[in-house]
Amino acid sequence: MSNYFYVAPEQLIKDRAEFAQKGIARGRSIVAAIYDKGVILVAENPSASLNKVSEIYDRIAFAGAGKYNEFDRLREAGIRWADSTGFTYSREDVDARALANYYAQHLGDMFTEGQKPLEVEILVAQLGNKLRPTKLYRIAYEGTISDEPRFAVLGGDSETIKTRFAHAEESIEPLNVTLRNATNALAGPERTIPAAELEVGILEDRGHRRTFSRLSDVQVSELLG
Amino acid sequence: MGLTLAPHTSPNDSAHATTVIAVRYQGGVVMVGDRQATGFYIASRDVRKIEPADHFTALAISGSAARAIELLKITQLSFEHYEKMTGSALSLEGKANYLSPIIQRNNLTSPLLVVPLLAGWDESNLVGRIFEYDGAGGCYERFDFAAIGSGSPFAEGTLRLGFRADLDREAALELGALALYEAGDNDPSTGGPDFVRNIYPMMVTLNEQGFQELSVDEVGERFRVINVRRTESGGVAGGALR
Repeated sequence: MSNYFYVAPEQLIKDRAEFAQKGIARGRSIVAAIYDKGVILVAENPSASLNKVSEIYDRIAFAGAGKYNEFDRLREAGIRWADSTGFTYSREDVDARALANYYAQHLGDMFTEGQKPLEVEILVAQLGNKLRPTKLYRIAYEGTISDEPRFAVLGGDSETIKTRFAHAEESIEPLNVTLRNATNALAGPERTIPAAELEVGILEDRGHRRTFSRLSDVQVSELLG
Repeated sequence: MGLTLAPHTSPNDSAHATTVIAVRYQGGVVMVGDRQATGFYIASRDVRKIEPADHFTALAISGSAARAIELLKITQLSFEHYEKMTGSALSLEGKANYLSPIIQRNNLTSPLLVVPLLAGWDESNLVGRIFEYDGAGGCYERFDFAAIGSGSPFAEGTLRLGFRADLDREAALELGALALYEAGDNDPSTGGPDFVRNIYPMMVTLNEQGFQELSVDEVGERFRVINVRRTESGGVAGGALR
């Protein structure tokens, strides 16, 4: 016969939160920011094929920090949700807020009821048009959504990076300036991150239905100047 | 949009009232499709029967309009879905094979038949390729040209006489337009050029630049040239490809 010991709910939540935070802190960070023509997502990522930033739908992008297998499964679920919603109703009915809520519910459930909380922090970015505003939704490991006004930082050292970025970028800037500020914020004063170790995706209107694109190492180097 | 309406308005219809053709050339594929939807009467004159399935692939449809549009939508969705999930696009052969079981399932369980035609630019092998299907979903690659719909016998006659392996883009566009003109001339369910309403068959190219549709003005001009020639010869081709 097994014995059950009483654990106060406060303690349980605290332990789970600490566990998730530790896992997330091990990974490298991501900066997402609004620039004058769209949204940019900059991740420090030495791998060229295991993406942290990706396309969800015509005007929606995804970024994930923390455990790769966990946020990649969330990315897949998001694409599935968006494609099936757009197919069932209309492409214009696919909304980032609804997707962020869907993620938040799942993360919240995993945090309280799962075997272990997911060690991830994710972001849903939406490029605005006449129907919807440009938005950045950050969703934390326990399901908290925050609607970030101009930029968001995910992953390990997010508070420091946030301060550095906010200090450098005081208003909405063009793509090259925002990319440079994001890269500097990720790197900090003591080091520089080479273009090959940056993963950059943008949402920008260029006359196509699908607005997401990845910037190549060459494009990133050119923009960084 | 309709190619044929549902069976109760058009009984015993197995001809898929349409003509869409694809011609391979050095550096890509040309596709030409008529614009008419036919039941007992002309239901629409400006239907689009060729649509991009993705950036490098076009899907042309014939048969039941409702089923054909559904096939087109699910194909567009699936190609994009695969690309987003895996981070890279399907191969052209993969795209062609994807359609087979869908056509089979539809055509063997329903009188609302659908027969598509797929053409695209193969990014791995840097060639244009054409895939046609039979009613049971069998997928066959064609290395010269293909035609679907009720007007295809007339279009194929022209294509068989005019096709050469070394066609360039311009020659393929000219041959494609002529083949569709012939189909529109002889098949009641194929709409030829409509100079009164300024509605012309769709002409698209698939090459390393992807799916590109020719402007109405350019297509209109091509058909006007054929029409003038044909008027001068009193309505006969005159023993030559013209």
